[in-house]
Amino acid sequence: MISLERARSIGILIVAGLLAAAVPGYADSPSLADRVIEHKLANGMTVLMVERHQAPIVSINMTFGVGGVNEQVGLTGLAHLYEHMAFKGTRTVGTRDFEREQAVLDDLTLVGNELDRRERADSTKAEMEGKPYAPSQEVQQLQRRFKELQDKAGEFVVGNEMALLYQRHGGVGLNASTGKDITRYVISLPANRLPLWAALESDRMAHPVLREFYKERGVVMEERRLRTDDSPNGLLYETFTSTAFQAHQYGVPTIGWGSDILALTPAATEAFFKTYYGPNNATVAIVGDIKPQEVIALIEQTFGKIPAAPPIPTLVTEEPPQRGERRVEIEFDAEPALAIGYHKPTIGHPDDFVFDVIDEVLTEGVTSRLYGTLVRDKRLAASVLSDTNYPGVRAPNLFVIAATPLAPHTTAEVEAAIYEQLDRLKAEPISSKEFERVLNGLDADLVRSLRSNSGLASQLAFYQTVAGTWRYVLSARDRIAAVTPADVQRVAAQYLTKSNRTVGVLVKKAPDKKMAAVGEVSR
Amino acid sequence: MRRVVGQMSFLATVLLLILHATWGWAADLATDNPRTMRFPTVEFNPPDAERVVLDNGMVVYLLEDHELPLITINATLKTGSWLDPADKVGLAGMTGAVMRTGGSAGMSPDEVDEALEQLAATISIGFGKESGSASLDVLKKDLKRGLYIFADLLRRPAFEQGRVELAKLQALEGIRRRQDSPGSIVGREFAKLLYGATHPSARETSVRSVESITREDLVAFHRQTVHPNGIIVGVTGDFEKGEMLALLREAFGDWAKGTVPDVKIPSVAESERKTGAVRFISKDTSQTHLRVGHLTVKETDPDYVAVAIANDILGGSSFRSRLFNDVRTKRGLAYSVGSGLRASVYDEGVWLMRAETKLASTQEVVNRFVANMERMRNEPVTDNELEEAKEAYVNSFVFSFTSASSIVARLMDLEYDGLPKDWLQQIRDKVVKLTKDDIQRAAKVHFNPERLRILAVGSGEALSKVLASFGEVQEITLAPES
Repeated sequence: MISLERARSIGILIVAGLLAAAVPGYADSPSLADRVIEHKLANGMTVLMVERHQAPIVSINMTFGVGGVNEQVGLTGLAHLYEHMAFKGTRTVGTRDFEREQAVLDDLTLVGNELDRRERADSTKAEMEGKPYAPSQEVQQLQRRFKELQDKAGEFVVGNEMALLYQRHGGVGLNASTGKDITRYVISLPANRLPLWAALESDRMAHPVLREFYKERGVVMEERRLRTDDSPNGLLYETFTSTAFQAHQYGVPTIGWGSDILALTPAATEAFFKTYYGPNNATVAIVGDIKPQEVIALIEQTFGKIPAAPPIPTLVTEEPPQRGERRVEIEFDAEPALAIGYHKPTIGHPDDFVFDVIDEVLTEGVTSRLYGTLVRDKRLAASVLSDTNYPGVRAPNLFVIAATPLAPHTTAEVEAAIYEQLDRLKAEPISSKEFERVLNGLDADLVRSLRSNSGLASQLAFYQTVAGTWRYVLSARDRIAAVTPADVQRVAAQYLTKSNRTVGVLVKKAPDKKMAAVGEVSR
Repeated sequence: MRRVVGQMSFLATVLLLILHATWGWAADLATDNPRTMRFPTVEFNPPDAERVVLDNGMVVYLLEDHELPLITINATLKTGSWLDPADKVGLAGMTGAVMRTGGSAGMSPDEVDEALEQLAATISIGFGKESGSASLDVLKKDLKRGLYIFADLLRRPAFEQGRVELAKLQALEGIRRRQDSPGSIVGREFAKLLYGATHPSARETSVRSVESITREDLVAFHRQTVHPNGIIVGVTGDFEKGEMLALLREAFGDWAKGTVPDVKIPSVAESERKTGAVRFISKDTSQTHLRVGHLTVKETDPDYVAVAIANDILGGSSFRSRLFNDVRTKRGLAYSVGSGLRASVYDEGVWLMRAETKLASTQEVVNRFVANMERMRNEPVTDNELEEAKEAYVNSFVFSFTSASSIVARLMDLEYDGLPKDWLQQIRDKVVKLTKDDIQRAAKVHFNPERLRILAVGSGEALSKVLASFGEVQEITLAPES
């Protein structure tokens, strides 16, 4: 389906995707450094290409440097909603007659805004008075008008035409995702269909049309219910994250708070688009059976015509230092689970590379310290994992350890056992054998990451966007190799402290029979 | 159930891309209207794998691919949880899991784990319903060491007692947690509603069945079902065929043949299949999690391809499908909505429509399911829909051959299922020939409103009222798991 909110799921191991060229035997194959071709358009768009001629196919990853982190309170969920709207087509695709359609869409927006405002005011008033909400005469009239306009707008719509064109031409894996830091659009096509992609995507970058807005807002509400409200883990991580970040936007759920989603407007969405989706904020990685010179010509002819947008607003809010442990419980009709997070610096900071090592030593593989002790030997936990870049990488983030207890053991026992291992990191140096395992794993992952076109395209576009250069993946390997056992001890002692941590605990709650979805405006 | 149709790419096949293509699209750029763009079908002759049978009956497919210094060995094993005794459900799954974790004749469990992680190699072993699988993924330089461990685990697993106990504890924790999420409940309970709770395609482990499994049971299950003449091996990556065959003969050649089970899944009683049912499960959720459907054809049924394309147009093809357009795009009632067809050569298939939606729109969504199903039965699909389905299929065909490992995996699957090497080619030819009448006829026979089974997980009493218009509603009460 269209959207995957990747950044919310723990366990995206950024480290596991590093590419370098230091594997014995790997020297025979052309190294990645030699294979990536870079091209920058005058309007600021970056193109990265890798030729692979195994099959006549191509994978394309288009990544914008925008995500939940660029939102304001009251407008949370905007980046993700825009991602949905981006599939609704343009002035030429997805419509039977854009000029006539536009007039109806303008009316629909006016009525929709007024209806949102009145419904919200009336339902707040009803709640204050302790009465059930019932739509007033005026609201009912607005609802009728809204429905008429929606039906009229519907007459112009060619449903999902952009996706349909891709599929018809053999496209597979059409998808998009919004995270804290980035938004991406992906597709794989038979290689000779690249002009179709360039035509559709340059049109979408230049002239998107926010049709079927209110319906898609309803779809996003259903997505929120599915991924967050009805999901024990979804709810645990939403609450945990917003507890750990009190000022910075990393604390806000990317899908948006429910009340904000229901208040998003076409005008706010369009303004967001104009600010963040210009060519100067885009990187395209194209991997497969291509001829780079032809691809550059194609992209210059299509995307090259789009003017650069004004510079992207910079993020100003910083999370203040945490002064004392924060603990939060989340009640849910599910078995217990635990998440522990420590604030840490992010990409490029020397200590970030040390965390990459700590992450691997603690949880990577069945011989890792936490798996070995908690799961295999002591049998306190059914699972344990960690993530060194939660919930994003563009700003200082969290090192997170997550575990589920193995009954009859409790989250408290598991938590204590985890702290024991963290103290061990501070007290004694990691062994050379452990360190060797970390590097072997990194190097092998790096070779494996070259296997799939789409995986490689994803990596290149990701690091280009969040680190400023895809070459980060090459330098990171050497920076990790330079980490010393003393660094690990120092960093563990500095960051893995009680006052710097946030603990979220999912607590079993017996089901109650209350009605779901009370008081929601539904259309 | 290893091939799933419902996504077009699964219909696509290995062997026949002899279609046409040229580069030089630069000439076509004058017409940059994506609606009218036309491209030649891509030409591609994928490499063919070599098939060798060892003296002990082990089948080996080999396909070299020298781009990266990696080697992957995959094996499909003739075993599966369909063989689980009724009082030891979970036995096959646990046998596969502990073959990987429990050490071998030559190495302790810890030695295996440490060796693999030091080499940055992975071995996984798992037994599913109709087959088992095992794989080794290793850097070229570590092949010999990796292959030794792999073969030792397959042939001489030690099932160390401590690791057996750990696997049992993990299985019990899994049981304890399986009612946590409504999505997991609705999937498992719908299978039971279709096949019956004791059928191999729906039955579940219980605390009692897991507790009753012993190390001796695992040893016996391995001894009875894992034999070289029941194994198909596929090797891809950076190797040379002659050397690889010598290594495989060294690792597996002296392994004696045994009696291999033939996969047989019992049929569901005809009487059971004919009736509809409406059921709900009460869980405090913000959405109703819906499954609506019934049992359907096997993959070898003459109607299979027509049913697959009918399903594709109804709800299988994501954005193109009628259900997606109707329920999600036009009405905004669900994030995830569609239909699915899952069929294998062994077992009755499943056809279902699915969505999650808030309580207030539950009835409307079920109504749209039924209405769209009836429309497939009562009127032919449009010319455009049929053309789109066929074009999507033919044009995405090339994605079935994207790598040496995908080519070999397909050959292994077909051989395991006793299907001809050109099976997918045959399916492709049938797709291309399908008519609107074929699709309507298949829909009429195989999408049956009388047989619909409806399952909803959600907000208790209110939900049962909402469902009452679809038949007599009964509650399924989940037994406490611990």
